[in-house]
Amino acid sequence: MTTHRALLAVSFSIATLVAFPRSALADDKPVPIDTGLAKKGETVYARWCVSCHGQQGDGRGYSAQWLEPRPRDFTSGIFKCRSTPSGTLPTNDDLMRTLTVGLYHTYMPPWAIIGDAQMRAVIEYLKTFSSKWKEEAPGTPIVIPAEPPNDEASRKRGLGIWKNNQCEKCHGPEGKGNGASAPTLRDDWGFSDQPFNFAASDKRKCGTTNSDLYRTFMTGVSGSPMPSFGDSISQQDAWDLVHYVLSLQAPKDTEYPIAEHY
Amino acid sequence: MGRRVTLVAVLVAVGAVLIPTSANAIPAFARKYGVACSACHTNWPRLNRFGIAFRDNGYRMNRERDNPVTQSPGYWPIAFRSTVGYEYNSNTLTPVAPTASNPLGLATTSTGTFGFQGLDILTAGAIGEQIGFLLVVEAQLASANFNTNAPQGGDLESAWVVFTRLFETPYLNIRVGKGALNDLPNDQHRSYQLTQSYGIYFFQAPGSAITYSPGDNYGGVEIFGHNELDNFRYSVALLNGSDASVPWWSGTVVSNPTVWGHLQYYALTGGDFLASIEPGVFGASGWQPTKGLTTQGAPAPCDPSTGNNCVSGTGSAMANFYRIGGELHLQFLSAVNPLTLDGAVEFGSDSAPLIVGGNGILGQNADGSPTRDAHWLGGYVELSYTPNPDWTFAFLYNRVVMLQQGSSDYSPATGNYTGYDFLVRYNIAFSSRASAAFQAEFSQASTTLVQGSLPPGMGPPQGTSVLLAIDFAY
Repeated sequence: MTTHRALLAVSFSIATLVAFPRSALADDKPVPIDTGLAKKGETVYARWCVSCHGQQGDGRGYSAQWLEPRPRDFTSGIFKCRSTPSGTLPTNDDLMRTLTVGLYHTYMPPWAIIGDAQMRAVIEYLKTFSSKWKEEAPGTPIVIPAEPPNDEASRKRGLGIWKNNQCEKCHGPEGKGNGASAPTLRDDWGFSDQPFNFAASDKRKCGTTNSDLYRTFMTGVSGSPMPSFGDSISQQDAWDLVHYVLSLQAPKDTEYPIAEHY
Repeated sequence: MGRRVTLVAVLVAVGAVLIPTSANAIPAFARKYGVACSACHTNWPRLNRFGIAFRDNGYRMNRERDNPVTQSPGYWPIAFRSTVGYEYNSNTLTPVAPTASNPLGLATTSTGTFGFQGLDILTAGAIGEQIGFLLVVEAQLASANFNTNAPQGGDLESAWVVFTRLFETPYLNIRVGKGALNDLPNDQHRSYQLTQSYGIYFFQAPGSAITYSPGDNYGGVEIFGHNELDNFRYSVALLNGSDASVPWWSGTVVSNPTVWGHLQYYALTGGDFLASIEPGVFGASGWQPTKGLTTQGAPAPCDPSTGNNCVSGTGSAMANFYRIGGELHLQFLSAVNPLTLDGAVEFGSDSAPLIVGGNGILGQNADGSPTRDAHWLGGYVELSYTPNPDWTFAFLYNRVVMLQQGSSDYSPATGNYTGYDFLVRYNIAFSSRASAAFQAEFSQASTTLVQGSLPPGMGPPQGTSVLLAIDFAY
């Protein structure tokens, strides 16, 4: 009987999730856009963002065709660097982090210099480009547990996870971004999107800290071929993978990674 | 005759204040990074905070896309800037040969010319991981038509290399070569005005032999730094306080040394009315020779005030001058498209041995008595409004007053300078590749002459300029 009730409860939960999109759940109401702030953000956007991201926020500004990777299309409601699960909207803090530090290896510079108020305003404005913000609430940020020791055992386990999850198909056996499928990879918009070269640089797109790397593994880089492993590996696995990937980076004083990188 | 020479000299001095230096706006950066000009310029060529930080970082965004090897081989970091259109100039009380109908020998001159003003060829950017550079070639301007009173010769105006983030800190950067100071209260090379400069950057006291003007370009080494957000900034520079126009050097380890220092702090208030505030202090102290060995002996002695007949590298008997000032910059309504109020006040002092009296001898009045220190106080106020990246309205007011003449041969008001400038600037083309702006500008300026240069009740002479031009950069 108990088993029957439990099965019923699980079935009901699954049915609910299938029947109602995430945004329709009572706890996940969309957060209304602050229109006053968005209005201020429009002037910020017009000065600093429009040439790449475009008047309509579709990533087709007049400079976009010359940039690789291409500027993000805000009308899609898909964002690269999030603390929230794959497929969900980012939090304001996620967007602030991207604006503040920019995105390494892209043409997105750090905007901290223009000030928090300007950045918060433009975040509200870019939400107006996609109806997704009116339909869904941002996802719930994942919890990043304390980092365990980065020791030989952890890195060895990380290598196993690297192999099991076929990371080298894209990133290559040494993490140089030259895996067998690398040349064919495309983002959601059909543009070439190359895997990161872990050997050459510690300046990873979504942040340079170990926690940033952990978060990327667990939430993915939406819109790019990099999936989320949040549903397939454990927290311990993710930290082991972080430690293994860090070990792929060549010492800073070697000339080799520079040559590889360029 | 002496009166006429003095008059011409002072008019030349007025002209020097009126003629702006070349200005920097570098579309090559916009092409490289894909950003619009408005990303770095409030309205070009004036830099906004983002542009100042970009420059301070050695022309880098610091996101691994700066170095030449990360760019398409087709990218070439070169840009051109010029201004074409119509300029009207009028100068009152200009000396001419006396005639029966004009016994005083003074006339108002008027010229209305179609032509161009300046041609800058600029190349700049990152050379390597922590190395940036700038080269500015100013082409020969004798055929420009604009500013016909004083055509300028071609020059390699700037050539420097900067080493950034030494010891991995933004507080330590070193720039070596020739160029404009990184850090004036308002950047002379990126001002909106095309027919008038910031007066205190070029002012010289009557009779002063000083060749240093902070608005000009000099060779030297500048150590500068800032915090990560670039709101605290400092600059210390050791310069040769002379340039190609007066290439006469003292025989010291650093010839004609001038030390420049500047501190600024910028803070966003978060308010809707007052958006930001930026106070600062600056100053300079320099030494210039007052004696030297001559090339031609007694009939043509070395003239330390001009360097004529002086053997370069023999200058001695160094005399000091100094400048000290404060500044305040306020942005109202918005830090994005601001109404900006800029102001700076500067006190200047030239020591007595550097003052030429009425007899043309350094350190001596016409009656043979020694000169004394010259003191002056000057400043400017500029109000500019950029309601959107396309439009800018600006008003500049300049005033410099002599507090103490260095020579008793000059009346107390001699050299006092007043100027103002109003302009409207509208971008008719604006992209990450190139820009063209229409500018309508009106300016007036006057400098009080030496007593007796003009008949009683006349003067000071006034220069008026009207500019209707297209300012463009590619």
